[in-house]
Amino acid sequence: MSSTNTTLVELTIDGKVVRVPEGTTVYDAARLNGIAIPTLCHLQNQTPVGVCRLCVVDTGARVLSASCVRPVEPGMKLSTNSEKVLAAQKTLLELLMADHPAPCARQQHSGDCELEMLAKQAGVGTPRFAKRVSSRGADDSSLAIAVDHDACILCDRCIRGCDEIKKNFVLGRMGKGYAAGIAFDLNAPMGDSTCISCGECMVSCPTGALTNKSVVGTAIAAGTDAQLLTAGELHRLPVFTDISGTFLELNRGAIVKRRYRKGEVICREGEFGSTAFFILEGAARVAISSSIAHVKTQGGPQGFFKRLSSVLVGREEDQREEEARERTIPIDAPVDLAYGNPVAELGPGDLFGEMTCMSFYPRSATVRAKTDVVAFEMLRNVLDIMMKNKTFRAQIDANYRRRALETHLRGVPMFAELSPDFIEHLKGSVELVRCAPGQVIARQGETADSFFLVRIGFVKISEEYPGGELVLAYLSRGDYFGEIGLLGGGVRTATCTALDHVELVKISGDDFREMVQRFPSVRSGIAAVAAERQAANAERMKTVQSVPLDKFLSQGLMEAQSLLVLDLQKCTRCDACVNACADAHDGVTRLVREGLRFEGFLVATSCRQCRDPLCMVGCPVGSIRRRNSLEVIIEDWCIGCGLCARNCPYGNINLHPFEVRVEDLENMGRKKAVVQQKATSCDLCTHLKEPSCVYACPHDAAHRVDPRKFFAELKGHGPAS
Amino acid sequence: MKMDRTQRGWAVASLGILGASAIGYVAYAHQAPAGPRGGSVVGLTFGIVGFAFMIFAALLGARKRVPTWRLGRAQAWMRGHLWLGLLSLPLILFHGGFHFGGTLTRVLMWLLIVTVGSGVFGAVLQNYVPRMMTSEVPLETIYDEIENVRNLLREEADRAMESICGPMDLQKQASEGQRAGGYTALRPISAAAVPLRTSAAISAGASAAVAPAAETMLLSETESAPLRRFYLEEVRAFLEQPRRRGQRLGDAEKVQLAFAGMKTLLPEAAHGALGDLKDICDEARQLVRQERLHHWLHGWLLVHIPLSLALMVLGAVHALVALRY
Repeated sequence: MSSTNTTLVELTIDGKVVRVPEGTTVYDAARLNGIAIPTLCHLQNQTPVGVCRLCVVDTGARVLSASCVRPVEPGMKLSTNSEKVLAAQKTLLELLMADHPAPCARQQHSGDCELEMLAKQAGVGTPRFAKRVSSRGADDSSLAIAVDHDACILCDRCIRGCDEIKKNFVLGRMGKGYAAGIAFDLNAPMGDSTCISCGECMVSCPTGALTNKSVVGTAIAAGTDAQLLTAGELHRLPVFTDISGTFLELNRGAIVKRRYRKGEVICREGEFGSTAFFILEGAARVAISSSIAHVKTQGGPQGFFKRLSSVLVGREEDQREEEARERTIPIDAPVDLAYGNPVAELGPGDLFGEMTCMSFYPRSATVRAKTDVVAFEMLRNVLDIMMKNKTFRAQIDANYRRRALETHLRGVPMFAELSPDFIEHLKGSVELVRCAPGQVIARQGETADSFFLVRIGFVKISEEYPGGELVLAYLSRGDYFGEIGLLGGGVRTATCTALDHVELVKISGDDFREMVQRFPSVRSGIAAVAAERQAANAERMKTVQSVPLDKFLSQGLMEAQSLLVLDLQKCTRCDACVNACADAHDGVTRLVREGLRFEGFLVATSCRQCRDPLCMVGCPVGSIRRRNSLEVIIEDWCIGCGLCARNCPYGNINLHPFEVRVEDLENMGRKKAVVQQKATSCDLCTHLKEPSCVYACPHDAAHRVDPRKFFAELKGHGPAS
Repeated sequence: MKMDRTQRGWAVASLGILGASAIGYVAYAHQAPAGPRGGSVVGLTFGIVGFAFMIFAALLGARKRVPTWRLGRAQAWMRGHLWLGLLSLPLILFHGGFHFGGTLTRVLMWLLIVTVGSGVFGAVLQNYVPRMMTSEVPLETIYDEIENVRNLLREEADRAMESICGPMDLQKQASEGQRAGGYTALRPISAAAVPLRTSAAISAGASAAVAPAAETMLLSETESAPLRRFYLEEVRAFLEQPRRRGQRLGDAEKVQLAFAGMKTLLPEAAHGALGDLKDICDEARQLVRQERLHHWLHGWLLVHIPLSLALMVLGAVHALVALRY
């Protein structure tokens, strides 16, 4: 921009004498006097860099000068439209058009690609030069902005917009020569970078290299109760203050304001969705609608006269082992539900449905307006921007610290003994960390410097071994990791990777060490769990390394820790196993006498207690889990969304309708019978000490085996060590 | 129940009981002044023990109704049923002194002989038929699903035909679904295939691709005429009523010849579909075989169980009458 020096300089532009303040660039001097000079890299609100060379002027010197960076000089005589200048501009445009994907996205959508417009004005037809052979590619990772590197002319406008105007410093240049291009952070995909999608780069771009992603088809169905808001109206709300107006305007339709009357259901558990809700006014009640009851496993003489139907027994009648009084059910909201009373309240400033919105998991609970409620419903692209916004983020984090953090901390069994003052200290000192899908949180072999509690999402824990990667566990909300590294030699023993959008509570190594010093019971508890995990991991590793692969094993059988195998030479197909399973599980069998066959054996369709339990990934309420022993269990608060059944590659989990009695919200104090879907899978009848199918087989044909030993013996390798 | 080395304990014990009983009976028979009688002390003992064995054997049915009751493993009950049930025959013969007696006792004796005989027959079937079924029916499915699988086979055959011959106006079934025998299919069924998801794929948010169907060419009307005729007259008829006798496709050897002959009449482009049809016919034939073996494996119970019930009832009547009067 021109200097504010009041000394005027006189020069001649295209035969016209002009006077401009000293320090003014030739480009501005021409512009101020109504002479337009074409440019592609220069914007008035950005520092000129003179890279495109389209704004060249003829000053009579040997070479042409870039007017955007050339300051005026007294007595200068220059021409902006001499034959030499016009020829240079035309050649430049022709060269740029040779690699340009005309018509580019911007030209197609709005017809205002600056390059194509200038080329047309300059009379550039089909370029004489060959198009580049290899594409520079596109980046579709951002939720709001599409990147087409082939349309990029390296004008640097986006970089200057990001740095100088928005001060985000995300964009930069990478490479050199013909391989040069723009990059986000250290050449990360735009969606995975620190880009906050403010849109400044997009509005700065002269071509279709950075364009807004169409919101056609992504707008939330309006309906009579939905209110679309303008960017201005949204900006009046504190949580939207720092959100780019350009972005909000371009994404109108991706966020609506809704009003719910008292008693109206906002979302139902188990339903699939793609939106999150932010409460502005009112209060909402969040609950799991099915009564907390056990899918009772029958057994013993007392069941003889009882009708073998699908009946759920009340929790007080069937207390399970390992149940803690303070146990909570994790849901997709800033609070968890107490096991004994799975109801909570949400109020203004609460965000819920985040996992559904970001990762498309089923709704984890039913939310019903307790009073008249006003809430925003938003799509993923808007939520993503909001969560990157410091103001909004701070509010959400503050809510979490106030309402749920202590519950989560106390939910770690070893932390139950921590004093209230230390909990208060942790609440203030923990860091709330956000991880993108696929992001490595901690790598095996790195120095351990923190302890993590999973707040949202799923984390994969895996260990490298010669030949591949062994998945040790999947952790979800309420689970924790990092203690083995901190208590051990200070080195991570496994790699922890975010499977989806993960939020973690990070406790620093210093706090962790202080905790174990002050509270010896915490140390011994953590050490016991760590030792148990290490022993289990070592056992799994030994298994992987010791068993030879075989065509049968390649069908996933080695992933199993327990297989139900039927000896077909002995089996009379009497279905006693199936009947016994149904008898032990309220009339619903959890095994099917069909599956893989090899030699004279059948691997029945029944839970294999896999080492890599894919079924656990994505459960919105954390009801499918593994106990300290072998079996994968499905807890009684399963909401029947069916995600685990879909994830199981072997079809071993099924949904079954059960009749339950739930609170009648229309008539408070009364209960009504409803049919509730719940997932079922083999639980090895652990409470009966032996699987019922094996116990009931009259022909010694059904066996639960460890596949490692079973296949080794079958193949003549002898008992595996 | 397979008669293997694990039965040795029961066999030895049963032989021991039989041996001891036989020795006891011989000694008793020599010493009895009026010969062995059912009403004597020894005779009654034999009768009571024999009937007790029969009661235990009969309780197997009740035991199977409560499979999760922890009253001993079902396997032990089954072995007890077999061996003690078998032992009941000589013991009852010793009880009666090898005399069949009056009307009731004569009926009882014959009932016992036939019941034990049917039981032995059933045990033999249970020993051999499972092995036969395993080797002869590799595409076995759950018995109750056989009809569903047949319907799916028919639909699959129709689709295979229409993919190379064009529309054939074949009657469609109302529902489609995954075959219960899908795991043991000889060929991939892309429509029903379940993508195997590895942890890596889950992590990457991807899912494994399903194998695309093989490319086939549409035959002209002239080229497909022999196949159409063969399909409508033989293959479809067989798939609809596989149990009907006299069908060429019901015989394993004849079907080879039939399809080999058909292959010579068709262009190479149709050989893939022809191979599919042959596989379908093979599977249908195996299901027929499975049904027959299943009936043999379980049909004998229709004789054994009613006879056993009659035996228990009449045995109780005999015991009451004999002891009271």
